[in-house]
Amino acid sequence: MNPFKYHRAENLQRAKDQQNSDENAKYLAGGMTLLPAMKHGLIQPSQLIDISTIIELGEIQDDALSVTIGAATKHDRVATSSLVQKEISGLAYLASQIGDAQVRVRGTLGGSLANNDPAADYPAATLALKGQIITDRRTIEAEDFFTGFYATALEDGEIIRKVRFIKPVQSAYAKFKQAASGYALAGVFVALYPNQEVRVAVTGVGQGVFRWLAAEKHYSDSSQVIDLHLDNLITDLHATSKYRAHLAKVLFNRAATQIKQYT
Amino acid sequence: MNAHLPSQLVLDKELLRKEDLRLITGQGKFTSDWHYEGMCFAHMVRSPYAHGQIKHINVSDVRNALGVLQVITSEEVDAAKMQTLPSGVTIQNSDGQAQHLAPMPILAKGKVLFVGQPIAMVVADTLEHARQAAELVQLEIDMLDAVTDYESALSPDAVQLHAHVPKNLSIHFSKGDVQATDKAFEEAQFISHMKIKSQRLIGSPMELRSVLAKYDATQDKVTIHTPNQGMLGMLGALEQITGIKKDQIEVIAQDVGGSFGIRAGAYSEHALVILAAKLIGRPVKWVGTRSEVFVSDWHGRALELNGSIALDAKGKILGLRFDDKADLGAFTCYFGSFIGARNISITMNGVYDIPALSMRSELYFTNTVPVSAYRGAGRPDIAYAIERLIDHAAHEHGFDLVALRKMNFIKPEQFPYDNHMGSVYDSGEFELLMKRAIEVSDFNHFESRRAKAAANHRLRGIGLACFIECSAAGTTNKDQVLGRFTKDGVLQILGVTGASGQGHETSFGQIVTTATGLHADRIQYLAGPASKALIGSGTGGSRSLYGAGSAVQNLCEQILEKSKELAAQHLQVEAGDLHFDHGSWHLSAKNASVSLDDLIKKFQPVDASAHPLDAQGEASSGSTFPNGCHIAEVEIDPETGVCEIVNYTAIDDLGVVISPKLVKGQIHGGVVQGIGQAFFEQAIYDESGQLLTGSFMDYAMPKTGCLMQIHSEHIEVVTKSNILGSKGVGESGCSGSLPALSNAVINALRPKGIWGMDMPYTPPKIWEALQG
Amino acid sequence: MQMTINGVVQEFQVDDQTLLVEVLRDHFHLTGTHIGCDTSQCGCCTVLMNNEAVKSCTMLAAQATDSQIVTIEGLASDGLHPVQEAFSQEHGLQCGYCTPGMIMSTVHLLNRHPNPSDDQIKEGLAGNICRCTGYVNIIAAVKSAAKKIQEKTV
Repeated sequence: MNPFKYHRAENLQRAKDQQNSDENAKYLAGGMTLLPAMKHGLIQPSQLIDISTIIELGEIQDDALSVTIGAATKHDRVATSSLVQKEISGLAYLASQIGDAQVRVRGTLGGSLANNDPAADYPAATLALKGQIITDRRTIEAEDFFTGFYATALEDGEIIRKVRFIKPVQSAYAKFKQAASGYALAGVFVALYPNQEVRVAVTGVGQGVFRWLAAEKHYSDSSQVIDLHLDNLITDLHATSKYRAHLAKVLFNRAATQIKQYT
Repeated sequence: MNAHLPSQLVLDKELLRKEDLRLITGQGKFTSDWHYEGMCFAHMVRSPYAHGQIKHINVSDVRNALGVLQVITSEEVDAAKMQTLPSGVTIQNSDGQAQHLAPMPILAKGKVLFVGQPIAMVVADTLEHARQAAELVQLEIDMLDAVTDYESALSPDAVQLHAHVPKNLSIHFSKGDVQATDKAFEEAQFISHMKIKSQRLIGSPMELRSVLAKYDATQDKVTIHTPNQGMLGMLGALEQITGIKKDQIEVIAQDVGGSFGIRAGAYSEHALVILAAKLIGRPVKWVGTRSEVFVSDWHGRALELNGSIALDAKGKILGLRFDDKADLGAFTCYFGSFIGARNISITMNGVYDIPALSMRSELYFTNTVPVSAYRGAGRPDIAYAIERLIDHAAHEHGFDLVALRKMNFIKPEQFPYDNHMGSVYDSGEFELLMKRAIEVSDFNHFESRRAKAAANHRLRGIGLACFIECSAAGTTNKDQVLGRFTKDGVLQILGVTGASGQGHETSFGQIVTTATGLHADRIQYLAGPASKALIGSGTGGSRSLYGAGSAVQNLCEQILEKSKELAAQHLQVEAGDLHFDHGSWHLSAKNASVSLDDLIKKFQPVDASAHPLDAQGEASSGSTFPNGCHIAEVEIDPETGVCEIVNYTAIDDLGVVISPKLVKGQIHGGVVQGIGQAFFEQAIYDESGQLLTGSFMDYAMPKTGCLMQIHSEHIEVVTKSNILGSKGVGESGCSGSLPALSNAVINALRPKGIWGMDMPYTPPKIWEALQG
Repeated sequence: MQMTINGVVQEFQVDDQTLLVEVLRDHFHLTGTHIGCDTSQCGCCTVLMNNEAVKSCTMLAAQATDSQIVTIEGLASDGLHPVQEAFSQEHGLQCGYCTPGMIMSTVHLLNRHPNPSDDQIKEGLAGNICRCTGYVNIIAAVKSAAKKIQEKTV
């Protein structure tokens, strides 16, 4: 890797100050995406500001309506948190399916969201669970956060502090892994809210995460669900858009079935 | 900061293999683990294009970069009078036509012919400096069209890779009796055809290809550390390439992280690192990265086998014919040609008595990484093709697939069986093995399991495969090992064949323990430098156990002979009155004995002279024919196309088995590499010759759980082709698993009207086929 | 920077961009931890950091400051760890290159799931690739190690 300076920030203010002093600095949380990219020379920051040990970024908090997870919380912590397992079981399960065991020890929620890989898992949960991305300067609704292919609404230097997930009545995540990378060939998160409100978010099949409105509309009778439009879906080395569209349907059904078993 | 090896006293449980202790405690020494004072680091510059004319390579900026000690281009290679990489065995067609060879230059000259082809080597004080400097290379290459498959390579207006090779056809090869085969097809009642594609694979042993060399100018000696399959093969290639005599080269590889055929000979980096070490006067280390190794380790398979079978009314096979295509990649390297001509023909009748056989194959060039041996080297591919064809014929013409095979097996009384394609099978009990496999796998009650699965919306299938392998006759006419006793009374056995996971140290040790009673920790097997004067083959073609092992057996016999004389001396009796039992020489008449251990100690010379029991063992071992019957049972989820292996039975005839657990390990490994090919792996090139599956992100490797358990048994049918009676095992797993898995998947899909599909059977592929 | 490696506190200086695996292998000559890929997938570089398995090729040494690192060389201070024993006895290794990483991942798995199910074993070792053994004996080794550990703690 190209040489750079490493700073471990003790708190958010220090992190921001460090970033302000150098526009080529990048925040480092788990490094599960950033470091491999740097090893291949794809990104060459002058500085890495390690925010992973900032305490406020690592907490999981509970209140009546929501669970709020610090941006630097590792996937493994979310997966094994009895709080998350109880309150948003789909989210705990999703975290347990990211990468592999070693990746889950290091990778973080904030890192995943900030990167917005079109085949990452967390974006699906965040969108389905009415997520609020709370940064150092504002709160961004999930709807407005994911802006495109590897793109988010984050401004330069903006740090995600935590993410608020609204507690559903029930939730489930179904994922089909790409056999080589373990990323989602398709991943569907279903969240059931009071008053028959359903939110379905899909990842892995297109340019980025999206809400599947047709699936939400016909939640109670999935045979009515129209297939996703193939034009918006990816055909690549691993699967055609047709297969991905089909998978999305299958996974939606599996997640929905799982929820119905509990409600 | 080195942890110590726990002493034997502390261990209260025995370990399985001698190698294990160092490997499980991180004390193994793989090539990149070696460290020499003053070591500098090399980085390769490789072609980013699949095909192009080199207009210009300017390395002046590279030479001047920070930390750079040397830059090697084809100019330096020529100045050092280096030759090309060996082309391997040259094939001659039956009409006498010689093969168009295209040996690979150490560094690209004039043209680049595949993405990944070495263009230059940069050596610097640190790896980072070498990498950064390499970015300063100025490369001007005029791109040419690339050909990446048979159709594009042999089309009339295809671009030519090599000026002397029209239509990119290296050779077309044929073997067998065309007339007899044509007649068989004319007379046949039933004929079936099946086209099999054995896709291009990337072997991916876990240890990355690497070379560390140092040069001693005072002795004009090169010491080279590199993972390899047998020092002599590496030495031979190095001598051919560099001109440095074998006597002046030491090859060291204490531990090798898998090879599977890929490490049999030297690569460009071997020659270049040696040259760099000489020029710089410091040790030079090169370690490939995985992405780099993906485009520079020889690839495997890349065959297309078109088979046709002719049966009489009763189902007796009258003739078999194959029309094959073998992609050599951009150059003729090592085993590519051997695979495409010999290996797919010598056992093309499989385990069946087929009176008329003929085959032809076209070996062609493409702008891709050169193809060489990968576990089985063509033999699993042909086994796969035959068994798919048999199943297909059975279904097309209404035969029971077990009965059809049984009717056509070579019967025990037919041995030795000359198939007139280069093999004389010496032994086998094909019917017995199939019977056992059917029994163990509960084959006969499969249909009820299929029905049950169907009720659960699953497609269940079962696949049976009978296969035979020709394990290597070796590259030399005999194998030798040297046995010498150290001052501590340890028997050191020096041999040529080096392990890359097979457990030679343990299995050879076991041969000695069985023959002599010496305890395992009094025996040491070493492959490497001191073994140079010995004749022997490297590790490859599944022959190490019976090849070098037979020499070890012979060594034991010689040591025992010698020890008998010493025992007679010691006990002051006639040698003829002694018999050997449980590690000691006994005098039948009196209650007198002396152990071999004691004789070793007693006759230890006080000076530096050799121990009187030192000896050289040797044996000539021909090819053997391990064979087996594998049965795979799978279950497909039609919703996703995911295919799960629910049962796997492997019944193998490996002759006499010395180390059952190690042998089973080889079967497991081979079967799972077969699973890799059947369900996960494929090296995919785009039209411009870029390797799309360039890393483990896109090239799917089998992982834990792809096979939860395997029922593996061996039935010993002794072979007389070596003194141990053993047949090889290294590659059998692949030869059995490819056809068994394939037949199982097709069996599951056939009720849906699908009777043919190319590997890998990925979920999307299976699902799309089911959509009709 | 400072970290504890195999029970010994180490203070050393390396460039910020140095990976943890490079510090272990090149600086401390603990070559039991291996490099097998460049996309963080093969798991050959797995070590324990604060008793959890991490891929040392995808970590800066700096990130491990003030941590406890255990490599394969330090897994057992006296004799062998039950996981090491089990891997040998069940023939869960052949060439040995993936083995240190596989062993460390197994230690992590058994810490979490002392009696792991087949699915838990599958998931627990998804980040470790082996080309030699075919995994069947590795699964047996994990189960055998689980048993050994349970017997020891009884």
